Amino acid sequence: MVLKGGFKMTIRSQMYEWELFGNGAFVAGDFPVAGREVSIFTGGFGNFVNEVSMVRDTEFIVINQIGCTPGVSPQESIVSGGGALTKWIPNMLIQFVIGTTGYYRDPQNVYSSGVSGMASPYPKSIQDLPYYDLWPPIYIISNQTWDIRYKFFNDLHGAFDDGYFTSIPPSTNIGRVWVNYTLFNGTDSLIANRLLSLGIPITIDSVEWFRKLLLKSKGLETDTFKFYLRTAQEYRDEDNRVNNLLGLKRYNPNE
Amino acid sequence: MRRQVYEWRNIMPTGEDNILNSYPILKPNNVHTIALKQGVAIDIFIGGVGNNIDIPAALKATQYIVIDAIAVWPQNLAAQIYVNTSRYFQDPDRNPTEGITGNVVPFPNGNSGIINYDFKNGLKPPVYVIPNQTWGIEVTPLADITEKTGADVTDANIAFCFVKYLLIDGADALVAKKLMEFGWDITAENIQRYKQDLVRFNMIAGMAEMDELDGLERRV
Repeated sequence: MVLKGGFKMTIRSQMYEWELFGNGAFVAGDFPVAGREVSIFTGGFGNFVNEVSMVRDTEFIVINQIGCTPGVSPQESIVSGGGALTKWIPNMLIQFVIGTTGYYRDPQNVYSSGVSGMASPYPKSIQDLPYYDLWPPIYIISNQTWDIRYKFFNDLHGAFDDGYFTSIPPSTNIGRVWVNYTLFNGTDSLIANRLLSLGIPITIDSVEWFRKLLLKSKGLETDTFKFYLRTAQEYRDEDNRVNNLLGLKRYNPNE
Repeated sequence: MRRQVYEWRNIMPTGEDNILNSYPILKPNNVHTIALKQGVAIDIFIGGVGNNIDIPAALKATQYIVIDAIAVWPQNLAAQIYVNTSRYFQDPDRNPTEGITGNVVPFPNGNSGIINYDFKNGLKPPVYVIPNQTWGIEVTPLADITEKTGADVTDANIAFCFVKYLLIDGADALVAKKLMEFGWDITAENIQRYKQDLVRFNMIAGMAEMDELDGLERRV
């Protein structure tokens, strides 16, 4: 992102929230099928982005935390007297995918559904504090694509077919997914790549530390020295001019 | 290194007891929780109750696992970690117990107002599982947990067991082995630190293939 003055913002803490709400009369195509994995970015349900999330050449991403709607039992869903579904428990899990590789595996080393909203809830509440902490974080380097895919295990389509509800008001949330990540851009992404090759954890602190180290070891450029000399000279000339006008100028044999 | 999780539940569609390699698809008014009998241990991976996997959890030759958190629900359900034939939790007389209960490590944290306070940072020290070992978790009810149906199937009435572990694979597993030989804790931080030091020492010794950083490293 380039700001008004032409400055580039380099390290930014970013987040993305995916949400799916009802839209009145139930239309099957508006909601994902239970048990099927769907992308939060390009899945076609709820809010989505225009392209697959690929890290560009000058970017480096560190995924810090992910979470989704908690709750398991479909019995805790609520239907109003008129058949409107006012609360839905999605019973969802989320998997993180880089390229074609899933982050979560089950204990037999097979691609799994991921982490549940019970372990990593979003939003968090005192009834459901997170057990899961994504540490160490996930690094995504340039030209890699990344995705978060959710699965609902409570069957909204089946519940409608059984006559459990007739409509879903727009205020009813069907599911949420949240991801928090740090975006390193420009020169910071180069530093992040260098730290990665050195085996150093990539955090905001470590990138800033390395940047300071580089500046300290390299010293100031010749151009910078020239700039400071010229500025100092201009300041001195201006100071002399003002002192002359005020009659405060002292005799200097060197001038 | 990857932070992995596994979550077991005893909720199933009406008339079913078990599903492999996934979670069951549930619908309102068509669910039940499976009764668990007092004192009868159930393996959360291969116990035949709730969601399971095909085979016991075993590590490959290039894998280490650090089990760093476990949680269970309801309060009268206990969880015991086992590695091969050894059990983690034991009585003062050295006999294995049923394990840690939902009173101490409730799942989810805060269920029915009970907070995991004493193990909020997980097991200290954690449990290490080394290559070619088999591990798992057994849950044992301290009292009968009855079947729930219909409106009684609430999250507070579902039995859960959750385990969080660090899966160390490939080159990191070699570092983990070294750390274990030195008597260091195997943590994500220590593995990163070891790799970092390894690179640094190689650079100082002039063995690293990073010539352009030589000058910089001397100044560090």
